[in-house]
Amino acid sequence: MKKFTNTYIFLYITALVVIIAVVLTLVSTGLKPRRDRNKQAEKCQQILRAAGHDIDRSKAVEAFSHLAEPLTDDNKQYRVICSDGTSGIAVRLDGKGLWGPIWGYAVISEDGQTLKGVSFDHKSETPGLGAKITEEAFLKSFEGKKLYDKDGNFVSVRVLKPGTSAEIAEENRVDAISGATLTSKGVDEMLKNLGSAKAQ
Amino acid sequence: MMKKYLGPLSKDNPILVQTLGVCSALAVTAQLRPAVVMALSVTVVCACSNFIISLIRNTIPSRIRIIVQLLVVSFFVILVDLLLQSYLYDVSKMLSVFVGLIITNCIIMGRLEAFALSHKPLPSFMDGLMNGLGYGLVLVVVAFFRELLGSGTLWNHQVVPDSWYAAGYLNNGLMILPPMALILIGVIVWGKNRVTEKRG
Repeated sequence: MKKFTNTYIFLYITALVVIIAVVLTLVSTGLKPRRDRNKQAEKCQQILRAAGHDIDRSKAVEAFSHLAEPLTDDNKQYRVICSDGTSGIAVRLDGKGLWGPIWGYAVISEDGQTLKGVSFDHKSETPGLGAKITEEAFLKSFEGKKLYDKDGNFVSVRVLKPGTSAEIAEENRVDAISGATLTSKGVDEMLKNLGSAKAQ
Repeated sequence: MMKKYLGPLSKDNPILVQTLGVCSALAVTAQLRPAVVMALSVTVVCACSNFIISLIRNTIPSRIRIIVQLLVVSFFVILVDLLLQSYLYDVSKMLSVFVGLIITNCIIMGRLEAFALSHKPLPSFMDGLMNGLGYGLVLVVVAFFRELLGSGTLWNHQVVPDSWYAAGYLNNGLMILPPMALILIGVIVWGKNRVTEKRG
């Protein structure tokens, strides 16, 4: 085994770190526009998906410019034309899943009573369990649900295990995902924010 | 000559025989698609870092060799992550944290220590490639059964006919939970050992 001096070791590791840092920075900067485009397109696609449009990501930005316009300066609410031709308000939602943040958009009817559609996304929920919140079957179950109960009180759309809490009416709830209790709870909590979002 | 490199696919399989990389094998195998991409990512990282480390093996002071290995592995993992985010955005979202966690995959560090430090670049590259593929093979087999029996789908396409569900067939919820992955890997290890023993 060769002997190396301390100076050699110090210089060696410094050089290696510098080289790797420079290369990674270059690659990261070079690919940044592409990554930003991906993120922007994804956001547009998400809002349109909540409004019922099934649009490929590559065409999402263009379609978005025709179908939606911002309502607030903070880019949290948009007026969108839904797939059935009516207009609705898309509200940004943020919440906590099991492993990390979850977020999405809810499109509410103009009178603020009905959920026209939702789309969710997540950073790191478990594939096959929590990650199912992005799947069509789960999202579809929200369509047409009411945000207010019969007496006009805000109850949001609750995400509950099937068979529990009979006091919440069918039109105010959807079934949670089995095996993904905490992610479902996160979605439940996130939707409650619609009460305050509407007040703005 | 070729036989030497084929070992990791069966006889010296990193997961089944060396019991390395089991953690990620549990995490990303609930569905087939993330498992395949994960397998490819690990293979690329393992082969490339084996190659680089082997290339510079005579200049690495043994006192800091682990640090040097970690640097090289992290470099490739970040590179793979950036490329996935830029060009395969959907898949990168599906794998999320697990791409970053490739850095801690014992198979890669294990091969660097056991092979790349003492062999020429090209054999090292092949060794990394085959070990990555050996890892990937187990991932894909486990993911195949977990997705098929747990969700009734393969590659996100439904394969269990609706008529079965109507007749009372249920997806096995246990399949999508991590413990079942461990049990499946155990079954594969058992089966593999039976076969190897018989061959004597």
